[in-house]
Amino acid sequence: MTLLQYACQWLADTVIGTRIRESDNLFSVIETIHVLGIVLTAGTIAIVDLRILGLLLNRHSVNAVLVPLVKIAWRGFALMALTGLLLFWSEADKLYFNLAFRLKLLLLLAAGVNQWIFHMAYDADIAASSALDAVAWRTRVSAILSLSLWIGIIVLGRAIAYL
Amino acid sequence: MTLLQACEWLGSSWIGTLIRNSKWGFALIEMVHLLALALLGSTLLVSTLQSLGIIFKGTAPGALFRDLRRARIASLAAMIVSGILLFADGPLRYYGNAAFRVKLLLIGGAALTGALSHYMGYGSTQREWPVWAKAATLLSLTLWLGAGVAGRVVGVL
Repeated sequence: MTLLQYACQWLADTVIGTRIRESDNLFSVIETIHVLGIVLTAGTIAIVDLRILGLLLNRHSVNAVLVPLVKIAWRGFALMALTGLLLFWSEADKLYFNLAFRLKLLLLLAAGVNQWIFHMAYDADIAASSALDAVAWRTRVSAILSLSLWIGIIVLGRAIAYL
Repeated sequence: MTLLQACEWLGSSWIGTLIRNSKWGFALIEMVHLLALALLGSTLLVSTLQSLGIIFKGTAPGALFRDLRRARIASLAAMIVSGILLFADGPLRYYGNAAFRVKLLLIGGAALTGALSHYMGYGSTQREWPVWAKAATLLSLTLWLGAGVAGRVVGVL
């Protein structure tokens, strides 16, 4: 047994993990809030990505869409991460072996790195030019990556239950 | 044909049988349903917050509801089509499911109050929506949220 597997087993055996697992409705309630977090995060990020690609809200500048929606996305992410942690807590021993879960974590990491690179590039572009409607190609690539990664994250998240 | 008979027909139709007999069919449709939910939910949230004057200040209330029309219609259409397919997996199971019935009522109420809020809002020439229009749009968003929660309960009951 690897150290990580041991840690997952230990986590699932803790009082909190057991309480969530054995409760009649707790898991479903947390799951529902988790889905709400996904809507707030992935949905708003998708709207921003679609605006960057020129497919939505073209009457508004990229920045006018990006600033308020990213704020919502971060709040959603906090909700999603917290509830996701609780869900993992209750099934850590099983999820350790779940391929969909492992892939999902990788995609989440990739989405985070993409977001980070995007922000650095975007901030540099803003500093260089005030003409925000001329979206740089690297920003577009980042938006396509972001859309694809979040679709993958949601699909794999649902697949966890079926594996 | 009664509603129950229609449910029986849908369940035994080729599409219902196909979904029931495939290993990943239901899961795949669920994924589409969830993806569409993410876009629809955030679209409704963003346009509601804009109508309330919380985000996109300086734009006329209701402006984002119009600008997001395509995204709203596309995601709603995807939700309805995938929702009907999920329903076709076992119509009789959902026919008697209280959460499912409540969910349909909540969707109807949400759409109705949402339309009402815009009707009341457009009547005003103010830069801000009248309080009744704001209340209606907030109620609509709450009912959508309720429909989402009810959707989760459908699977538990």
